[in-house]
Amino acid sequence: MTRAALSSNYAWIQPPGPWREKLRSSWRAYLANVVLALPLILGSLIMFTPLLWAVSFSFGQPHEFFKLPPPVIPSSFRLDNYHGVFERVDFFRFFLNSVFVTACVTIAQLVTCSMGGYAFARLRFPGKRLIFIAFLASMMVPQHVTLIPVFIIIRGLGLYNNLGALIVPYATSVFGTFLLKQFFETIPDELEDAAKIDGAGFLQIYWRIMLPLAGPPLATLAILTFNSSWNNFFWPLIFINSADKMTLPLGMIYLRGQDGVTNSGVLMAAIVLNLIPVLIFFLIFQRRLVEGVTLSGLKGI
Amino acid sequence: MRAPQMQEAAIRARAAILPRQRINSLALREAAAGYFFIAPTLLSFLVFFLIPTISGLGMSLFDWDFFSDPDFIGLENFIELSQDKLFLTTLKNTALFAVLATAGNVGLGMFIAIGINSIQWGWLKACLRTAYFIPFVISTVVVALMFGFLLQESTGVVNYYLARLGIDRIPWLSSSRWAFRSIVLIDVWKHVGFFTLIFLAGLQAIPSELYEAALVDGAGRRVRLTRITIPLLTPSLFFSLIIALIGAFQVFESMYVLTNGGPGDATRTVVMLLYREAFGSFNMGYAASMAVLLFFIILTLTVTQVRLGDRWVFYR
Repeated sequence: MTRAALSSNYAWIQPPGPWREKLRSSWRAYLANVVLALPLILGSLIMFTPLLWAVSFSFGQPHEFFKLPPPVIPSSFRLDNYHGVFERVDFFRFFLNSVFVTACVTIAQLVTCSMGGYAFARLRFPGKRLIFIAFLASMMVPQHVTLIPVFIIIRGLGLYNNLGALIVPYATSVFGTFLLKQFFETIPDELEDAAKIDGAGFLQIYWRIMLPLAGPPLATLAILTFNSSWNNFFWPLIFINSADKMTLPLGMIYLRGQDGVTNSGVLMAAIVLNLIPVLIFFLIFQRRLVEGVTLSGLKGI
Repeated sequence: MRAPQMQEAAIRARAAILPRQRINSLALREAAAGYFFIAPTLLSFLVFFLIPTISGLGMSLFDWDFFSDPDFIGLENFIELSQDKLFLTTLKNTALFAVLATAGNVGLGMFIAIGINSIQWGWLKACLRTAYFIPFVISTVVVALMFGFLLQESTGVVNYYLARLGIDRIPWLSSSRWAFRSIVLIDVWKHVGFFTLIFLAGLQAIPSELYEAALVDGAGRRVRLTRITIPLLTPSLFFSLIIALIGAFQVFESMYVLTNGGPGDATRTVVMLLYREAFGSFNMGYAASMAVLLFFIILTLTVTQVRLGDRWVFYR
């Protein structure tokens, strides 16, 4: 019989003093937990309530907005406001544009960042250190410094008012390259050497050995990229000016500019339509998202 | 085959098969492959970062309206900036916002993280973490539009419930003083969960032996907090302060959507003015000089923080 089993068998032999103390201290811990948790739970209500209000008002009728108290639970579940959104703007088009841009950016970054990360981690070539330091330095420069020249370049490439303007500049990422480099450095040399002896080229090593191992960091990168691309507002604001090319964030501002939308249930309905995919995304990928943010902490702010 | 043996075999195989020339050509092939793999990132770096940064720095020395030829005027843009009352107002707004939002986000984030971490029930921990983090994934535009609705002065829900608590109507967005505060509050609402996560990661990295040793020595809750938790959290605090300040100095979206800089210029920031100068009145050189100044402010602050960090950050 092991020692642990023995001690658990004879646990009742323990003198009563510490046992009673233990019970009391566990009660105190319980109480301390409740006292600690209460303000935190109240605080988390502040995080939630605005979202619930938005949902509630999205079902409300115009006259209800002036009724006091404002209905916290809508008096009826009428979809007039949701119809209003689709009557005024091509909301579905905004959504599709967002999906298209985000998908392209995410896929492109997965390819280019894993390629770059592989090269920086596993290959020797002249100028590698210098290029890598230059890449890292570029993360410190705010995007507004490059804004006007990039605007001119995008126009020069014929991408103005084109979804390409939202994709091409974001097709690579220094941050992602760095993330993948860190990962590829942890892969043991033996794997690569074995493949080399078998006559595999670098492309094959990248494709057959490196990429299949890089699932977790690629997933982290995909989720962070997806989130920041989906929410990108500044870039579309500058490069897109016709409604059929707008992504969701810019489309929301466009919708607000329509007749009778400012601060109305229609706007709330559009907000809820925005929240649904984001919250679904969040619930599915929460763990990875949290991991990615704590791992990097660099992106998305 | 075991790993070290495999490596040895690989080296031996290489030495046996490859004469010197082959090795050279292999190195050449490796270099070529290296450039091939970094080509997309390098190209994008050149076209969308290096060239624009250099020309952005250069552009700040010109007077240019986008359509006619640029005029070289030296540092005149910067001299003009130092006398431009509107620019100085936006600079003051941006700095004040950065200080308040950073203090709110980082301070509250640390507080919440310590609170969540000391709860013993795993499920409650997870729920609270999720609750505080949710706003982070919602786009700033949607957040701003939502609060614009809820914070209306006469018909907004928030004021209604405040009135029930006996608090007078607050002009959340219509008075200049409150508009500024509202924007700071909304920023904290959106970002505090992010900083909570960073501090939670920092807390989890503290070895539990330290707490056990302290318990043995009879240290109470408060002593453990001030002597173990907070000193060992300073690296997370340092990191959070740096990224919070960098982000806050570039703030644009919530103001653009909620107040458009108003009332008056109470919530106008440097980036908002930059955007208007560049794409509203096409003062490209002037806008570029603002960007350059902003960059140097951020750079100076970050370098100063890193320098000062050595004094108070506790590295294990």
